[in-house]
Amino acid sequence: MVALVAGAFSSAEAQDPRIGNRLDAPTRKALSALVDSARAQGIPVEPLMEKVYQGLAMGADGPRIVVAVRSLTVEMANAHRVLGAVATTDELKAAAYAVHAGVPAVELGKMKKQSGLRRSLTLPFTVLADIVSRGVPVQTAANAIRSLVGAGARDRDISEFQRNVQVDIEKGAQPQAAAETRAKGAVTTTTPAPRPEKREQE
Amino acid sequence: MQGPDGMESSDAALVARVLHGEVNAYGALVSRYRDKYARYAVHMLGNREDAEEALQDAFTRAYRSLARCEDPERFGAWLFRILVNRCRTSGARRVRRSQTFVHDETALLNASQEHPAEQTMWREEIERALGELSADQREAFLLKYVEELGYDEMAEITGVGVSALKMRVMRACDRLRILLREVHSA
Amino acid sequence: MPDWGRTTLELIVQELQRPVRVDESFDRRVMVRVRRLYAERRPRGAAGWMGAAVNLTRRPAYAAALAAGVVAVVTVGMLRSSHPGAAVGAESPIPVQFVLVAPEARSVAVVGDFNNWGLGDTALVAENHNGVWSVSAPVKAGVHRYAFLVNGKQWVADPTAPRAASDDFGQPSSALVVEGTVE
Repeated sequence: MVALVAGAFSSAEAQDPRIGNRLDAPTRKALSALVDSARAQGIPVEPLMEKVYQGLAMGADGPRIVVAVRSLTVEMANAHRVLGAVATTDELKAAAYAVHAGVPAVELGKMKKQSGLRRSLTLPFTVLADIVSRGVPVQTAANAIRSLVGAGARDRDISEFQRNVQVDIEKGAQPQAAAETRAKGAVTTTTPAPRPEKREQE
Repeated sequence: MQGPDGMESSDAALVARVLHGEVNAYGALVSRYRDKYARYAVHMLGNREDAEEALQDAFTRAYRSLARCEDPERFGAWLFRILVNRCRTSGARRVRRSQTFVHDETALLNASQEHPAEQTMWREEIERALGELSADQREAFLLKYVEELGYDEMAEITGVGVSALKMRVMRACDRLRILLREVHSA
Repeated sequence: MPDWGRTTLELIVQELQRPVRVDESFDRRVMVRVRRLYAERRPRGAAGWMGAAVNLTRRPAYAAALAAGVVAVVTVGMLRSSHPGAAVGAESPIPVQFVLVAPEARSVAVVGDFNNWGLGDTALVAENHNGVWSVSAPVKAGVHRYAFLVNGKQWVADPTAPRAASDDFGQPSSALVVEGTVE
């Protein structure tokens, strides 16, 4: 697992076998500044480190990794702004990826407001990013996911929706039509998830 | 714990995150309240070690019972009630030591730049006098005058009636007066 | 209000109200205890349900993709642990099986956020069974990016999982959401 410590790009990085000597000094400096800035803003830094590891694994050079991490920082900051302090780290990550795919952060905020505190939007945000990347217009995609969440669809229902839209598009369907049709069907057939109760912790 | 807009996360927001599974959010609540409630624990128990143990215990118990915090917006008050109970049951004997407390250097400096030694002695006199009070009186005095709670709040926290609390506060003040005047007239 | 010098009382209170600083290590000690409590509440004995959840589900819809010889993947894009009465935290690893149909491949590995993208020799090496490559691994609840690395150099996304953006590094990858439920 990613073992992040404070100041990941300070003394710890020298001993981090995952990074080793793969990053040159300017890259380390730039990444250190980004990580510090993210931390100062209350943004989780683990996703940024994961992005570094991904870049290294995929053979990207230092500047490209810095660009990717900077983008992710901005996207997570945007997500944090609209989702608020109640969003979990995973929701922020998924929201950032949706923003990266082109979904306006404000749409994500609307969904969070609608769903309340007890329903994670990690999976809906992930599916939203996916169908947008397959060509579904952003507003159509956002409306579809919002309607599913609003109807109380569970994550498995939204996963099913994603798979159906994907298959339809691969068979030649127009992305917007596929998303609208499948969303209508999913909303109609959805059985809302039961509202979880607070667990006694003692 | 601040968001990118500089706004602090409310207690309710942090509690919600913890209940949602984000255990690390609890750290923000710990940071928020540890210094404030350490003060009460230190004066109540008379030494840092016992105070920190009681405070750790209180935070741990609060985490375990977090789902039962009925008003997460007032998590702090709810935690304080747990701490007051922990201090009562900790069974710590007040130990009078000359170096019991870590003094806040800045506060000391600001308070008495001319006579820091006197300031230290004054503090130790107060602590000694507090140690002479019964636990009930000390608790009531600290809650009323140091933590500045109203009697209704004190009753809610301690489970003791308002009139009994007033009596304890009055007796605490009487006793402190005698002890400290004795010191000063010596 | 006591009948003795208010000034004296104010001085006493002023002194007692001075901040008492606690060492920062205090926070760490508390959080160690809290995380231990958290970990103790992870579910046990949920294997039966989880076993069913991770079984391969071959959907007829993907038969065309399989027949075309395209690298096809059957995986579970989302797993939910909802064992009644159990509390699963966000940090509880859940077994996930990754499967890739790649008859022509000589080696297949799975790398992603959950294993530091294979850095430090943490890649999950799949086993080959007549062209069906598979590997299982515990993945903690959360959202992860991952990909298959075929023959040590070809990056392949999971065609049946949600896509992750590929513009960062020019290579495809997929999204996996492993969800825990705090009851």
